[in-house]
Amino acid sequence: MTESPAQPPRPPDSDSNADRMRAVAKYSGIGAQMLATIGLSTWAGYWLDEHFQNKTPWFTLSLMLLGLFAALYNVIRSVSKQE
Amino acid sequence: MKRLLLALLCFLSFSVYANEPTATTEEATDKKAFSPGEMILHHIGDSHEWHFATLGDEEHGTHFTIPLPVIAYRSAQGLQVFSSSKLAEGKVYEGLKLEHEHLVSEDGSKVYDFSITKNVASLLLSAALLLIVFTAVARGYAKRGSGAPKGIQSFFEPIIVFIRDEVAKKSIGPKYERYMPYLLTVFFFIWFNNLMGLMPGGANLTGNIAVTLTLAVLTLLITLFSSNKNYWHHIFATPGVPKPLLPIMIPVELIGIVVKPFSLMVRLFANITAGHIVTLSFISLIFIFQSIYVSPVSVAFGLFINVLELMVAILQAYIFTLLTAMYIGGAVEEHHDADYQMGGGDGAEPAHAH
Repeated sequence: MTESPAQPPRPPDSDSNADRMRAVAKYSGIGAQMLATIGLSTWAGYWLDEHFQNKTPWFTLSLMLLGLFAALYNVIRSVSKQE
Repeated sequence: MKRLLLALLCFLSFSVYANEPTATTEEATDKKAFSPGEMILHHIGDSHEWHFATLGDEEHGTHFTIPLPVIAYRSAQGLQVFSSSKLAEGKVYEGLKLEHEHLVSEDGSKVYDFSITKNVASLLLSAALLLIVFTAVARGYAKRGSGAPKGIQSFFEPIIVFIRDEVAKKSIGPKYERYMPYLLTVFFFIWFNNLMGLMPGGANLTGNIAVTLTLAVLTLLITLFSSNKNYWHHIFATPGVPKPLLPIMIPVELIGIVVKPFSLMVRLFANITAGHIVTLSFISLIFIFQSIYVSPVSVAFGLFINVLELMVAILQAYIFTLLTAMYIGGAVEEHHDADYQMGGGDGAEPAHAH
């Protein structure tokens, strides 16, 4: 996807197409993962609050924030990783 | 506000109400109204019999179904095996009956249902099909070696090579060969089952969350068992993260391990199920409006979605395989110096990112 023109020429068509598809799959995967992280942790917090009959939903709040943080951290980590 | 919403609702569903009287006068009054939601959920769900079509109405029409074996276990009665036709249309057989495709005992005792349901039958069928196809391909390689492929072999060779070169080699690196059997199996399994699910009368196997869960758990297990020291080092002592932060970072990393396969599971399930629901909804429009003039539009849209689903079938198989390969690649990755710049402050860019 992010090929700079200075790089040595690659076999043109098929390779860049495959790379594009790969990038689409990869980044859509990162997005889905972000969604799943927040969703799962919020659900876990909700479940815990129900289970312990909390008046204030501390588990939901804290786990949602943790999930949000984890999602962002994982996104940043996976996009800045060398590949 | 409530009244406004009600008025809006009435207005929006006006056309549907307007059609109801004609329906009741035309049809017998005792006939159940068509409920698209019920039909769609029934269609995408699992079932104890394989239903293809019904001519005529629910009660008096002819049903084209294949009865499948029901295997039930109860602690009192032991194992029972019988045909699902004995339970058809709410019948009770030896104290067992089906309640919304759920096998229950009349006396309320626990039933363990190991039945060959529609999805299980479809899974076995597709497994047989995969075995037949790929033993034929393998035989081709055994016979011709690295010579020019022939027949079915020449159709699958580019796909297999694509998975090897574009998915496995690029994501996993030099150790890719060990994982090729799993990656190819998962790719062709998902692809074949997606396509079989699109066939008329096919089961919605890859749109069943239990199936995608199993695939995702396999991916998780393979990732965990092939992980090296470097992988765990990253999770329990992420390079560049100060020690006091570790109590926060370790749960965050552990969440990441579970979430990756979870997102695989949900993506495949949601994509395939959504495709089926959309196609069926377009077809249902004919029966909702009870008008033949809707059919060209709804058939055209249904066909369009169906053709789109053909593409989604291979795309989802590819995405599942690629992400699996990437997760495995992350687990077997050897230590490299770019890691030290992770979270090292001031946006330190790895020098050889590309």
